[in-house]
Amino acid sequence: MSAVTTDVLVIGAGFYGLSSAWSMTRLRSGARIMVVDHGEFASGASGRNGAGFRMQWGLDLNILLCKESTAFFENAAELLDYPRGIELKQDGYLVLAHSQKALDKLNASIAIQHRYQVPSELLDADACVEMVPSLGRNRLVGGTYCARDGSASPFRLLDALLVASRREGVDVRYGTRVERIDQRDGVFIATIRDATIEAERVLLCTDWAVPQLLEPLGVELPVTSLPKEAIVTVPCTPRVKPILISLEHKISVNQLARGSIVFVPTRAREGSTVESTSDFLGWAAPKVVDLLPGVADVPVLRTWGCVSSITPDMQPILGETPIEKLYVAVSSFRGFMTCPAVGRMLADLVVNGVSDDPVLAQLTPSRFKAGNTIIEPLLNQE
Amino acid sequence: MAAAIEATARGCEVTVLDESARPGGQIYRQADPRLQGTEFAEPTELARKKRLLGRFDEIVHAIDYRANAIAYAAFGNGEIHVQVGDGTEVLRPDAVVLATGVRERAIPFPGWTLPGVMFAGGAQAILKAQRTCPGRIAVVAGCGPLPIVVASQLTRAGTKVAALASLRSPLSILGSPGGLWHGRDIIREGVGYGRSLLQAGVARLTGYVPVRALGTGHLEAVQLARIDEHGQVVPGTVREIACDLLAVNYGFIANSELAAMAGARIRHDPDGGFWLPETDENGRTSLPWLFAAGDTAGLRGALVAESEGTIVGAAAATAVDTAVATAAPTVAASDALTEAIAVRSRYSRFARVVRQTLSVPVALWRTATDDTVICRCENVLLSEVRAALESGHHSLNAIKRNERPGMGWCGGRMCLHSVAVLAELHAGVAPGKMMTPRPMARPVTFAALARQKRAAAE
Repeated sequence: MSAVTTDVLVIGAGFYGLSSAWSMTRLRSGARIMVVDHGEFASGASGRNGAGFRMQWGLDLNILLCKESTAFFENAAELLDYPRGIELKQDGYLVLAHSQKALDKLNASIAIQHRYQVPSELLDADACVEMVPSLGRNRLVGGTYCARDGSASPFRLLDALLVASRREGVDVRYGTRVERIDQRDGVFIATIRDATIEAERVLLCTDWAVPQLLEPLGVELPVTSLPKEAIVTVPCTPRVKPILISLEHKISVNQLARGSIVFVPTRAREGSTVESTSDFLGWAAPKVVDLLPGVADVPVLRTWGCVSSITPDMQPILGETPIEKLYVAVSSFRGFMTCPAVGRMLADLVVNGVSDDPVLAQLTPSRFKAGNTIIEPLLNQE
Repeated sequence: MAAAIEATARGCEVTVLDESARPGGQIYRQADPRLQGTEFAEPTELARKKRLLGRFDEIVHAIDYRANAIAYAAFGNGEIHVQVGDGTEVLRPDAVVLATGVRERAIPFPGWTLPGVMFAGGAQAILKAQRTCPGRIAVVAGCGPLPIVVASQLTRAGTKVAALASLRSPLSILGSPGGLWHGRDIIREGVGYGRSLLQAGVARLTGYVPVRALGTGHLEAVQLARIDEHGQVVPGTVREIACDLLAVNYGFIANSELAAMAGARIRHDPDGGFWLPETDENGRTSLPWLFAAGDTAGLRGALVAESEGTIVGAAAATAVDTAVATAAPTVAASDALTEAIAVRSRYSRFARVVRQTLSVPVALWRTATDDTVICRCENVLLSEVRAALESGHHSLNAIKRNERPGMGWCGGRMCLHSVAVLAELHAGVAPGKMMTPRPMARPVTFAALARQKRAAAE
């Protein structure tokens, strides 16, 4: 059995894994960093999401995470020395309410957003339809809009992080599945078929799959999975300028620069399969047509599957486990839009062993034992 | 058509989903009945066409035949999703026969996306369905029998064929006299087509391939040349020929997307149709309810396809009767089945000889230059595919995620085989897994998806 050693082993080469690894190189600690991933490039949730980012949240910590990340996206090409860019598109983000209750939530949240200088504004139904003429008026009561929110290409950002990490000496290996983790004499031993990796510190970035490696170590984390399916249309004329989400329809909508529109509807399901389900389009299409009658004539090109992590309070889990020097990062379906900030915080924590970040302090794995629940009102999730 | 005829004869309720407006597929494609004019095929081929269409016509009123019906998804639970008119419908039959045929294999070369460059089969479809010539002066190129047939039919239709370039001599098949004997009637048709070419004085260029299509906005000329094993033009062999139509065929790729989407086991056969569902002699895939007939299960040609349709139709009917989920049940014999098995056996030997003429050297993909478009839908250039390969993205899925070949309108039907070959050429990696097959096999509007009829659950 061959063995390699490293100082930090990151398991999972998605947004959290690669962003953390790259951020670690910025600390110039001299630590050797290795990232392993069981799949190939962008084959997990990072390559399968809706590509939107927004600062419009109702909870301080989400606003802070996304504000920092948005500033990063705006300068990503330069920061990551990736001239091709990440296909940044800042055409704003419209959060829609189709009931008075939802509008009340938006009203309460916008006050908190303004506390953090998020340039969001409240719109009535007419203003929403004026902004997006393809919107339907069924039950629509209004929304909030922030012009600095937008989208970028997940593939470009992931490739930029990969290239930048490798340039800084990070050893990134695909097709490398960690079967289990053991701890011997204060060293972690990750077993990979016929080889092992010995590491002083381990950061688990396998998202919904973290329990698979944690449970044998006696660490329980309340993380489950939610399979979703996404829809992309053929390229069409501009119809949906800002990204949309509807709290009631539980759908996000993003028309890409090339004209195709991506829809990610959420419905209650269990499991961790990325396979297409036979009743999905028949279920989703009427919701899409109700929300956006102006896209009814657009042909659907393809669907794909993705799996999100679900935590009891629908917030990320970031930090050290009860086992010293073993860390986890669970995104709770916003790995893309929070990865720059989360990567920076985790790099700090993993390399230095401590962090005084107030956001991180609220998202620790231990919060569930203490019974702390933090509620985010602006979710379009089940 | 043959599978539907046989399954109907065995007492099944049959639904036929046909993407076209009239039955016949590509080989026996029918023109709009209002169109006047003659057909350009050999009389013996036209007789076969008339015979099968006539047999289908006898049952068409007893079955549920749907023209312009697009099967856009298949699932492991046996559901087939189809668009008909402005709505969609979910079917749940007891057995499904995929007879989705093939598409033509594109090999990119500089200029191949210019209007005026088309597949030879595409040019033939225009001749058959619209009875009109797709060009005035044509160059026809490629390998196998189709370029010969199309060049001849274009000549008969009034197009001037300036040259017929063949990768290898049609006489190369003489090396397999045994196989040829079984297809002697087809050879005779080939001779008929060859005679038309001779009479029209069509120049034959053996060993030549198109290396560049020239023109501003539309094809104006094509450069033909011999290439060496590295894809380099052999000095002194370049011939530039003025034309407004270049019809190319380099063999075929099976339309196996629905089989893969349903979860049937897929095998890889580069010259025999690329990704093919694994089937037994009755056309049964790894899924007990799903069958594939004809070229969908590997290149066999029209004559094998017709007899195989009968065989697979009989097996599918048996699957419906017995509803056995696992073992392959015994198919009851009939005269039609016995004859079909004999015919398939005979023409399969001939088809194997023809298949040899369809193999192409990978060097052909080296005629593409860095600025040659590989994926037409997403406008992905060879340089971009190479950049992805150079940064270590070797699988089709990884290349797709980086550069988007296969993410466009056609879903990779036109380019993915090329990307697989290019990965082999430029990065030395064997073409791996087929790209994950997902709905939709064809685009369908939200409006049609929202108007969905579901077959009542049993």
